Amino acid sequence: MKKISLILISVCLLSACENLGVKPWERDTLARKDMALESAAMDSAFDDHIYFSKEASSGGKGFGGGGCGCN
Amino acid sequence: MKTEFKDIHGALKTATGALLGASGLVAPAMASDTMAGWEADVAVLVYSETDRVSAFEPAISLKKTFDDESVLGLKLVFDSLTGASHNGAMASNTPQTFTRPSGNSNYDAAAGETPLDDTFHDSRVSISANYEQPINRLNKMIYGVNVSNEYDFFSVGGSATYMQDINERNTTLTAGVSFEYNTIKPVGGFADPMSEMQTSGVDQNKTSGTDTRVMTELLLGVTQIIDRNTLMQFNYGYAMSDGYHNDPYKILSVLDGNNLTTGSTLPGTYVYENRPDSRAKHSLFSKVKHFLNGDVVDLSYRYMWDDWKVASHTLDFHYRLNMSDGFYLEPHVRYYSQDAAEFYYTSLNSAEPLPEFATADYRLGGMTATTLGIKVGFLTPDGNESSVRLEYYQQAADTNPKDVNGVETQLGIDAVILQYNYSF
Repeated sequence: MKKISLILISVCLLSACENLGVKPWERDTLARKDMALESAAMDSAFDDHIYFSKEASSGGKGFGGGGCGCN
Repeated sequence: MKTEFKDIHGALKTATGALLGASGLVAPAMASDTMAGWEADVAVLVYSETDRVSAFEPAISLKKTFDDESVLGLKLVFDSLTGASHNGAMASNTPQTFTRPSGNSNYDAAAGETPLDDTFHDSRVSISANYEQPINRLNKMIYGVNVSNEYDFFSVGGSATYMQDINERNTTLTAGVSFEYNTIKPVGGFADPMSEMQTSGVDQNKTSGTDTRVMTELLLGVTQIIDRNTLMQFNYGYAMSDGYHNDPYKILSVLDGNNLTTGSTLPGTYVYENRPDSRAKHSLFSKVKHFLNGDVVDLSYRYMWDDWKVASHTLDFHYRLNMSDGFYLEPHVRYYSQDAAEFYYTSLNSAEPLPEFATADYRLGGMTATTLGIKVGFLTPDGNESSVRLEYYQQAADTNPKDVNGVETQLGIDAVILQYNYSF
């Protein structure tokens, strides 16, 4: 059931996505460094490491920088 | 002042070259020439918990974009940890004695004190590299490798990610896999699961050697440009790990009703924890970035669940207040909550048979955690980006266990995080 829901959500999102977006000449703001999805990679990697070693959750954003015996 | 900063800049480049040479990534003689065209981020992080663990982590990250638009990234992180960590046992109204992981000596916890193993000390080095290779104008591959080593743990892993732009490059689809191989070699050996902790100098119920844990991870994602000022990301992640998952140093108190029972060689009875040998985790992650009157809003949410019955919510919010000339202020709020793993116990009852799986590791208990932080970014006189981040992390267990005498075990954590970044 979860799998079917995920597929349905994905299809809905993708079909809705066709109506969204910008033209190539409208990307000035999105091209800003501070608008990058991972605009502070160093902070983010440190945080992932801290929270991985203090909480029971990890992952979701991307692939991390190596394992750790801290959990 | 300007000259001084230029000197620092030069010195850092030289040091980076030397570091690359020394680490064997680049031949020493080539290191300084090789630095041309590289972007570097250096950072130092200090993490300090009240009365418990402290960490010091310097890191350097290097990036070079080549003419064919391929990108190579390298990262080196050192991690030095010292301090005390809760061993899993309950606080008691009488003094308690425990055995150090080596089995060679004992340590004590005073009456009313939360038992902490103060021998916690480790250093870790992690090296990672990633290579981004465009296939054509609309798609690319990203490959990653990483190796990390600490005293009782070694990890090596790799990943491959495919990214495809569609809808006039307004939508990016991502699919990636990663693999990680870990080797665990605990100080003093592997405690027999659910066996009793023994005093020093006698048979410790431990087996020496190494064990492994492998993890395979899958990540599927969609990034969508909504309008000129907004973009969103959705990810689904699945991670499956097999092998040794126990924390070899964690124990549980065995109580008779509510009082600590007498142990066979120690004053109290404590058993080593045991966790299942596999874990399957799922995560749904969503992020939105929005440009608002010159500022940047960054909001993300993750829901994670696994077959240990841990489920968690993470809400993360950054607001970057852009001032002038590269100066910005960025408040940060993070809220986290998790349900306990199904085999989490604060203590065990001697009147009942021992469960197959049990842990008193606070990290697998029900909790909420809040982070409040502020980051200040500025340009150094030579025009390079710099920032300082100060954060406060507070973790609170859903319940701090109390024994029959009202003695409470303090499971919470208060920590301060201070980080400095410099890019050149």
